[in-house]
Amino acid sequence: MKSKIEWCPGCGNFGVLKAFRRVIERLESDGVERGRIVSVAGIGCHGRMPDYLDIPTFHTIHGRVLPLMTGIKLANPELLVSGFSGDGDALNEGMEHFVHAAKRNTDVALFLHNNQVFGLTTGQFTATTPRGKKTRTTPAGNPEWPINPALIALVSGATFIARGFAGNVSQLSDLMYGAIRHRGFAFVEILQPCITFNNTWDHYRENVYVAEPAESFDEAVKLVSDEMATGLLFRTEKQTFEETLLSSLKVPKKVVKRI
Amino acid sequence: MDLNVCIVGAAGDGVKEAGELAAELFAHFGYSVFVYQEYQSIIRGGHNASIVRMSDREINSHRKYFDLLICLEDYAYELYKPHLRGDLIYDTKFKCGGIGIPMTEIIKEEQEPNIFRNAASLGALTAYLDIEFEILAGIFSDRFGERAKDDITIAKAAYEYYRSRYDPKMKLKKIGRRKKLVSGAVAIAEGLISAGLTHFYAYPMTPASPILHHLIKKREIVAYQPESEIAAVGMAIGSAYAGKRSATGTSGGGFALMAESISLAGMAEIPLLVIEAQRTSPSTGMATYHGQEDLYFAMHPAHGEFPMAVGCPYSVEDAFYLSAELMNIAWKYQIPAILLTDKNLVESYKTAEIERTNLIEEIEIVDSSEGEYRRYEITENGISKYAIPPAIVKANSNEHDEFGITTDDASVRTQMHEKRMLKENLLREDIRDRAWKFFLRGKDTVVTWGSTFGPVYEVAEELGYSVAVPRYLRPFIKPGLDQAIVVEQNYTGQLAKLLEMHGVEVRKVNKWDGRPFTPDELRELLGG
Ligand SMILES: Cc1ncc(C[n+]2csc(CCOP(=O)(O)OP(=O)(O)O)c2C)c(N)n1
Ligand code: SF4
Repeated sequence: MKSKIEWCPGCGNFGVLKAFRRVIERLESDGVERGRIVSVAGIGCHGRMPDYLDIPTFHTIHGRVLPLMTGIKLANPELLVSGFSGDGDALNEGMEHFVHAAKRNTDVALFLHNNQVFGLTTGQFTATTPRGKKTRTTPAGNPEWPINPALIALVSGATFIARGFAGNVSQLSDLMYGAIRHRGFAFVEILQPCITFNNTWDHYRENVYVAEPAESFDEAVKLVSDEMATGLLFRTEKQTFEETLLSSLKVPKKVVKRI
Repeated sequence: MDLNVCIVGAAGDGVKEAGELAAELFAHFGYSVFVYQEYQSIIRGGHNASIVRMSDREINSHRKYFDLLICLEDYAYELYKPHLRGDLIYDTKFKCGGIGIPMTEIIKEEQEPNIFRNAASLGALTAYLDIEFEILAGIFSDRFGERAKDDITIAKAAYEYYRSRYDPKMKLKKIGRRKKLVSGAVAIAEGLISAGLTHFYAYPMTPASPILHHLIKKREIVAYQPESEIAAVGMAIGSAYAGKRSATGTSGGGFALMAESISLAGMAEIPLLVIEAQRTSPSTGMATYHGQEDLYFAMHPAHGEFPMAVGCPYSVEDAFYLSAELMNIAWKYQIPAILLTDKNLVESYKTAEIERTNLIEEIEIVDSSEGEYRRYEITENGISKYAIPPAIVKANSNEHDEFGITTDDASVRTQMHEKRMLKENLLREDIRDRAWKFFLRGKDTVVTWGSTFGPVYEVAEELGYSVAVPRYLRPFIKPGLDQAIVVEQNYTGQLAKLLEMHGVEVRKVNKWDGRPFTPDELRELLGG
């Protein structure tokens, strides 16, 4: 099942792929069957991830990564369900699902390739494009203020909020692993330079720093608002959607053994 | 014996419940009962009607004219009076001629809220039909258990009042064993469960909501209301990918939102069952009224070419079986299947024998993670073996190779698209002998679809016509007919056009006022 990788040379997505392949290896060495690590991806450059991964995957349609993940998890809570989404995919077309998945604390992990641009459709502005930035569809500069995805995840109720950088593969891999292991809705925003339409490599290399997780929700709001803060930013415990919903039902429910 | 009783009042008067309980009363005596619920998209006020018809022969429709009108509000009386051809029972809080029962006074005395007048109206009905009060009391107890006490007290007061002033108008005799009442929504839900449904996701939309309301009460089913129809269909697809029989249900507007995901299921070859319960359209239309305007939409709901099944039940009983059939088809062929139904079928109640049994047609499913899995293996008949995690199964909305890896390769595309399309031919042969139902033997043939079958059948029997109804609209099988009278509830004649395309000469009989056809109206239209 070898496929040729089709990203532009120098794309931040290579770092994400490398980091996730390490996650799979690590989970396998923990004793997790590879077939239980399931990933969904949306449409965009990030959506190619499944083709390059040797695990069960679903490459779905634009913006609809989270409903599929939720349906998979409810059907088989024994699976470790994660998903790859773009800033356009999760925050433009799929925003309603993003907020609701966080709100329900569904037990999945979402990895957001935030390149602040539509990659695959060749460089239009998205929900995270900085104000004033000229793109194909904002020739006079983006008139809108950008969204901070990690902040939305936090205020919507996500229980694991992290930010990684495609240029720091070992940190990113640890965050992704932690997100999958987390019980509840885990969100990892990945600062992902798009070499072709939004080359932020230098900017991120110079400015990102590793933060210590916030101790309280209020502190977390401040920390997450700083877009150069990376690492695990906030983590809390809450009953998950699946636990709540399934516990009132007489359906077979096996809880995943977590290490 | 054929009695058509209409109970009217305002929303909040408990008219719908009164109708169901009256139906239980008739079913107790072994009659066939059909209940049509007419209500506005208003939570309080407005006017609601429950038309309860009973007969000693099998019926699937209500009648236009009422043998008895039970009226709780004066303005509703003005609206429904033109259809009255018999007696009137009314609350004496307003004035008009007929059988007056002081319903408001009775509930005031018992210090109960207005809604309890529905119990009073049932007490009066019981006396009108010379039924022993204990039978009504039993029906209240069956439905409300302990809480039935207050209803029984009020109904009894109305019953006694009636007996002290008026004579019974007829004597209802027992003609058979007590029958069970089922709504179309329940028949659909139970049919799906019989075929293995375990996961159901739906966003509320009239008239599909009762299906969700029924399933959400089941402890062995995961049923949930997510953020939108788009989420609902996505969750159903996710659950099917992980190996669970799942479904979603909505009406036209929500179905429109699901279009893109139906195409996804087509490409990714995921079994998906979608219920489309039609109401008046376009757009929000009249939210609580009936229509059959989405035939083409349901047949071609989404972009691209892919095999699909569309079934349309013609009665409450058929809704049970067809739901199960379509679920099995979705899994056998790994395709989207649409159950196209309508408001009059989903929200109506009727006496029907529905036994939940195991109707699952099992398919082989690979779930081992050994080796690489060719999820989309090219096979002779187009069906590849279904696989679920932990098999290393790769589903894809993009065109893909046999492993599910994205490709733009011309020859792979050619073969893969053909592989998928082959399945529709297989399906066509599979359903051929259950695609149409033919009834009666008469001069000409009346063709209709969905719940319109009810009134059509009745009139055809009287006037000497044959009747033909399609149960499957896609794949569409041409019936062996040269000519037909096509009765349907839309303006353009959607089924009529479909038949014309297949060389059938048609005469159209249409209605699009949001109210289901009654036999009375059809008798005039088909009389000649
Ligand atoms: C419903 C729908 N609208 C639009 C598109 C076209 N489209 C393909 S990729 C894409 C944007 C992808 O951007 P993003 O999610 O940020 O991913 P990236 O390519 O940057 O990884 C769009 C709009 C589509 N496939 N589906
Ligand atoms: S367009 Fe941007 S995001 Fe897409 S592959 Fe190229 S560099 Fe990566």
